[in-house]
Amino acid sequence: MTETASPKAPAATDVVLRVAGLTKRFGATLALDKADLALRHGTVHALVGGNGCGKSTTIKVLAGVHRGDEGRIEVAGTAWDVDAYDPRAGRAAGLRFVHQDLGLFPQLSIAENFAFDAGYPTGPGGRVQWRNLHRRVAELLTTYEIDADPRTPVGALRPAQRTLVAICRALQDQEGDERLILILDEPTATLPQHESDVLLEAVRRRADQGQTVMMVSHRMPEVLSVCDDFTVFRDGRTVAALVGQRPTEHELVRHMTGAALARTIDESVVPGALDGDTPVPADDRPAAEPATAAADDDVVLRVQDLHGGPLRGVDLELRRGEIVGVAGLVGSGRSSLLRTIFGEHRPASGRVTVRDAAGRVHADGDPRTRMEAGVAMVPEDRAGEAAFAELTIRDNLSVTVRRKYWRLWGMSQRQERADAADLVARYGVRAASADAPFTSLSGGNQQKVVLARWLQRQPSLLLLDEPTQGVDVMSRADIYRTVQEAAAGGCTVLVASSDLLELCSLCERVIVLQDGRVAAHVSGAQLTPDHLTVLTQSTTEPPSPTLQGASR
Amino acid sequence: MSVTDTPPLQSPGSGDTGADDRISPPVSTAGAHGGVKGLLERHALLLLLVAVAAFFSFNPASGDIFFTQQNASVLLGNQATVALLALAVILPLVCGYFDFSLGAIAATSTVLTAGLMSFNDLPLGLAMTVGIGVGVLIGGLNGLLVTRFGLNSFVTTLGMATLLGGLIQWYTGGQAIVNGLDPRLAQFGSTTLLGVPQVVYVVALIAALLWYLLAQTPFGRGLYAIGSNPRSAALVGIRVQRSVWTTFVLAGALAGLVGVLALARSGSATADPGTGLLFPALAAAFLGATAVRPGFFNVVGTIIGVLFVSVSVSGLTLSGASTWASPVFNGAALLVAVGLSHYLGRSRGVRTT
Repeated sequence: MTETASPKAPAATDVVLRVAGLTKRFGATLALDKADLALRHGTVHALVGGNGCGKSTTIKVLAGVHRGDEGRIEVAGTAWDVDAYDPRAGRAAGLRFVHQDLGLFPQLSIAENFAFDAGYPTGPGGRVQWRNLHRRVAELLTTYEIDADPRTPVGALRPAQRTLVAICRALQDQEGDERLILILDEPTATLPQHESDVLLEAVRRRADQGQTVMMVSHRMPEVLSVCDDFTVFRDGRTVAALVGQRPTEHELVRHMTGAALARTIDESVVPGALDGDTPVPADDRPAAEPATAAADDDVVLRVQDLHGGPLRGVDLELRRGEIVGVAGLVGSGRSSLLRTIFGEHRPASGRVTVRDAAGRVHADGDPRTRMEAGVAMVPEDRAGEAAFAELTIRDNLSVTVRRKYWRLWGMSQRQERADAADLVARYGVRAASADAPFTSLSGGNQQKVVLARWLQRQPSLLLLDEPTQGVDVMSRADIYRTVQEAAAGGCTVLVASSDLLELCSLCERVIVLQDGRVAAHVSGAQLTPDHLTVLTQSTTEPPSPTLQGASR
Repeated sequence: MSVTDTPPLQSPGSGDTGADDRISPPVSTAGAHGGVKGLLERHALLLLLVAVAAFFSFNPASGDIFFTQQNASVLLGNQATVALLALAVILPLVCGYFDFSLGAIAATSTVLTAGLMSFNDLPLGLAMTVGIGVGVLIGGLNGLLVTRFGLNSFVTTLGMATLLGGLIQWYTGGQAIVNGLDPRLAQFGSTTLLGVPQVVYVVALIAALLWYLLAQTPFGRGLYAIGSNPRSAALVGIRVQRSVWTTFVLAGALAGLVGVLALARSGSATADPGTGLLFPALAAAFLGATAVRPGFFNVVGTIIGVLFVSVSVSGLTLSGASTWASPVFNGAALLVAVGLSHYLGRSRGVRTT
């Protein structure tokens, strides 16, 4: 641990929240290993680190969702051993949380959202004193510089205002002495740039007035612009506590990943990738350059200057039999890219062309025409977007090829049964029978069924969004093998995942998305989880004004 | 009118249309098809039907009349319209949508068919076509409101039913239409073929076609997939909005036909808003969802449901029970059936809501 205390290190009395030696195990995994954290009064404190470094676990222990195994927590002078600490203790001591999902009711007014937290002011007979409530909430909104009427439904507010309302609500019972500690979990993850600027400015102003704030964020430029102190976690340990310093992005990233990797950031970022103007993204492999017409026939998916939703000019080319990964933070456009390619979202501008197995090129279309062109998609949300929970495994398998079984006298159940049994055996689905309900399967086996559903169509392009989310280790290996076999058979695979290790073990190359653009291409020896962490977290220097102008 | 097939989601934030008003069948036992218990569950309603029929046949109070070909004929003829309306009801229900206006559509069709012949001297064929055509139009409108505009199906069709009930009152002036009807229609409704009323053959034919559509075509399979999870359905290339719209249109057409058959059976059109027909049909549909393919609305189960309720009520009536016995039995049977399947589903650890 490299404790880097500055000369103006805080006096012990200045610390309002201290976590010391916090350890938390999940089974065999050590999520937190004697982690330390100290917040100074009236500062904005950043808690940063790569995926799985223990940030979320720390927050969950503080919120009382998980109970720590060892360590001490000290809030505003009161100290607990972690096994004596519970949600109520944290709240009573003044911890307030605003999670990424803000927990607001979008249809209800701001005032009512406040009232659900703090209770409605009632008069005789339990009547709600609306005027009282609205006046109090209006005062709070003024204090927090939120320009909105308490009667406005929360859903009508701008995204940054919504987050501010959630913050204001969390702090609403704060009296004049500013003793509450606000903990923000990735407050800007889903916000566009200008919205997060608005939000961060407001947070900064609160801190200047004496509010203590801790925020978790992956966006380095943001934390650098607003935070006073930084705590960096790696593998469940505190590797750096930078108090009252102004570290550079490289310094932070070096702490997050270990020293050696940070150097490679600049080398692997594609020159000009951020200006959205490169028609063919540079690639580390010379063979990938579409130099000849013959090589061009090999391109299964071509995405050109794709805009829409979070996507802001994505260019991409995938060849036959390639497995390509998509890395990026939440909100970087990972899922949107896949969904737009599959035709679920219509792009605002740009082109997506797909070459089917017969060599015909298809321009854009809806999911159905995409399917006919040989595209398959396994969505991220298995329960919500892939499963037919009440139907049988057989129904879940045959749903993509229903027409195949239709004879004049009806559906050929015999053939359907035989095919389903084949698929279940071939993809190693552990099920009592193909006629069992889909929900009787474990997560991993459900995912195998979803994958088999698509692979039986022998797609030329397979889009996988978080393919092993909620999947056990054994099934995960099966799924990787299945995907690799499909690719070996000529299927092109595009995998979006937040599991960087997964991308590294599965893919030949990975593109990194940042703010809806391809920020980097990684392949070969550079393809390591640590390196990807560096690339997803950091931003390079913004493109020069002239380049930016040219891209628009 | 047509519905283009827009994907139900343009953006993740907008939510899928009508997701909040989607309903699930009373049970979702999801068919653990193996084992004696599963077999028993699938055929419980049929066994119950046989048991009830046997009981009333041997019960001295009702046996003499109950177990006669004549009683069976009357029973089938009277239940033909309810059965057909129940079949219409399950079409949107398979996709997870209610259509409460089907009873009113049937009543509108009855009144309009009768009125066109009586007031406007239109020929029978044209009057029938208009009656059924109105069903198609209203079904199409319902479907459009529910899919394209994402309105809640429960409320939309309830509003439509009320509206149609009012229009029926206005059109008939509250009077029954008895005169000026083509006698061939009533004749068709009252004649029997091989001892079975002719309308029953119409219902049987349509039941067979619907069974084929729902159980034996890719389209029907798609409808069940939509009923299970519309988001997933859209992502495996099923045209969700168009399919749902089609079920509303088909249901409207069938309800229109129910109206014509009702006119044929009764020989006159009363200014009834049609709820008297709808609730037994809904009850039969939900009863049917506990049988044959438990957890799913299905054609054969629905027919068994209709027969079960009507046989029981007929037996009770013949045994001397009063007129209130029929609705009481209807309601009780539905509650017991739904409760039982819910319990069975839960005991197997399957999600039931």
